[in-house]
Amino acid sequence: MRLLDKRLLVVTGKGGVGKSAVASALALHSARSGKRTLLCEINAADRLTSLLGKPVGPELSLVEDNLWAVNVRPEEALREYALMVLKFKSVYRAVFENRLVRYFLRFVPSVSELVMLGKVLFHVKETQGGAPRYEVVVMDAPATGHAISFLQVPQVLLDTVATGPLWTEAKWMRDLLVDPKATAAVLVSLPEEMPVNETLELEDALRKKVKVGTALVVLNGYTSPRFDERDLQALGGTALHAVAKNHFDRAQLSLDSRGRLERAVAAPVATVPRLYEQTRGPPMVEKVADALARALESAP
Amino acid sequence: MKPPPGAPAKPGPSAPARPGTPGKPGVPARPGVPARPPAGAAVKAPAPAAAEPPASDAIRGALREDRVLVAVGAGGVGKTTVAAALALRAAVDGRSSLVCTIDPARRLANSLGLKELGNAESLIPEARFQAAGLAPKAPLRAMMLDMKQTWDELIEKLAPPGKREKILSNRFYQSLSSALAGSQEYIAMEKLWQLRTQRDYQLIVLDTPPTAHALDFLDAPNRVLDFMNNEAARWLLTPALAAGKVGLKLFNLGSSYVSKTLTKFTGTETLQGLAEFMGSISGMNQDFRERAEQVRDLMADERTAFVLVTSPSAERLEEVVRFHTLLRQNHMRIAAVVVNRVHLPPTFEAMGQLNRLEPQLRRKAAATIDEISALAHNDAEGIKLIRKECEGTPLVEVPRFDLDVHDLPSLWKVGRFLCGEEAVARA
Repeated sequence: MRLLDKRLLVVTGKGGVGKSAVASALALHSARSGKRTLLCEINAADRLTSLLGKPVGPELSLVEDNLWAVNVRPEEALREYALMVLKFKSVYRAVFENRLVRYFLRFVPSVSELVMLGKVLFHVKETQGGAPRYEVVVMDAPATGHAISFLQVPQVLLDTVATGPLWTEAKWMRDLLVDPKATAAVLVSLPEEMPVNETLELEDALRKKVKVGTALVVLNGYTSPRFDERDLQALGGTALHAVAKNHFDRAQLSLDSRGRLERAVAAPVATVPRLYEQTRGPPMVEKVADALARALESAP
Repeated sequence: MKPPPGAPAKPGPSAPARPGTPGKPGVPARPGVPARPPAGAAVKAPAPAAAEPPASDAIRGALREDRVLVAVGAGGVGKTTVAAALALRAAVDGRSSLVCTIDPARRLANSLGLKELGNAESLIPEARFQAAGLAPKAPLRAMMLDMKQTWDELIEKLAPPGKREKILSNRFYQSLSSALAGSQEYIAMEKLWQLRTQRDYQLIVLDTPPTAHALDFLDAPNRVLDFMNNEAARWLLTPALAAGKVGLKLFNLGSSYVSKTLTKFTGTETLQGLAEFMGSISGMNQDFRERAEQVRDLMADERTAFVLVTSPSAERLEEVVRFHTLLRQNHMRIAAVVVNRVHLPPTFEAMGQLNRLEPQLRRKAAATIDEISALAHNDAEGIKLIRKECEGTPLVEVPRFDLDVHDLPSLWKVGRFLCGEEAVARA
């Protein structure tokens, strides 16, 4: 099953590995492959606006052909959800803008996580004229530890509340998340020992605790070999030797990291070359998208 | 264990020898003598005394005077490493120290002697220091914070005897203690308070959970206070408390339009379960309030300081500025901003050697030099911005090392940069 046949791609990984850039690039790739795609950022400090070069806010907005983006935040998600349940704005105001209720809702376990996840999953289910409104939803999920607890919220809620509307909501969300045909994780890693270790642990935890399988590992910041042993010998004890040796070691580590990931995870590993120029924002995302497109074409 | 280049392989010039310290034979007991820089890295020792940047003074002062240092920052920037390096340094210099980590990478945990120990404080054995060429003057302990266990201990301590089991088995308590956003941040500070008041460490360095939002951390005591003693709780509980009983019936749902609508949203049982939980903890409100206030006071104590850790990339700029602003607004003292994993520029020596190479190798080497320069340049620009946005707060740079920082010699090396004994050279 191809990656873009999934309905929801959960992009996650250790903090600082380039999750948002990879999520943006993946969404771009999906849109350009002809899929109506929605990219969702979860209660983040708006990384997408600078990465995509178009304003991304709490309302869905069109970024380019076939690509929409939204920053899902708890207040707006709660309001939208409550309005869906309650139907009337006046009722919403009377109840949810009540100061005591606001206090109280903060402490019903994980309400904000639930409504944010609910919004993303709602868009996965959403249809228009009988067809899915968005064929692929890419979620720029929280980092490692937070991602696990975020995705577990429906299950935690099912264990906490016995019946009622919250239970019903949690139930369909959980079912959609654990459906391997609909949902898959995309893990972002770096070619270093510790990040790879964490990726392997994350893959394991997602599979065992959340019941979400990994469909792709993106190895970001990959260094391809440049120097060989002969070069190093030729450089002898010069200061350049240290420079070349460092590159040589990083290339070796990149290769090893890729090998470890390929052996341990039953999913293709796409490498994204390390970027050196001061590229940020859209040009950087374009480069990552190109690299992903190449890697996905050659993937089995 | 083979220490990385530049780390003290055995007691040498960079070992913590001070004047008046009975040094080992052959060890020059002179302070401020820099370790030999690793081959090819552009590090230099700043001139001692007068020319020292204030930033390194700030960290050294904090290590000398403060009782609590809290390492904060976004995920993935190296908070744990910086926290461990600070505690190691303080212990070596003679203050008994504890580093309390949240989720250390396994190899760092191993090198600190932490193995699934939960809340236990473990002493780093002498042999490990010897192997690293270090001779601490005071003990160094490390622990890994077990959040769930800390919550349970807190409840066991504060709950009235008959109610403990009921609370500990309540589903709302369980999700509060393990899942609720902000509760991690709170319990980390609660543990810090226990350690501060019940132990006699001269310095405790607290690593913090990777926090998506700086506010979660600063707001945590307030949130928990809200939870334990808020108007909503009273509003929910009043009918039952007035009736003198605490049980399932305390929740008079029929009484108001608001609660009726809320029930439609959450379901009756959810509200009842929560009300029951609040009923059982209602006797603890006062204790909790006092505790949370003490935790808050400890954060604001004049001998508590924050160390804000970040990476030099421009993508992290907004986060570090937000943290910085919030800490300031909340009157928390920031000892320093630590910019971690800074890429060093290529050395002039290396660049000068390019012309001597045969063309093919020269092209490869030149391309590599260009890449290194670009990375160093980006970082330098990022640091300029951080410096500008966090004006008035000392800024310390720690270079990116070739290897992961996970053993004592590398932690020691990080500490030397934090204390300004080695510095990132800038042309």
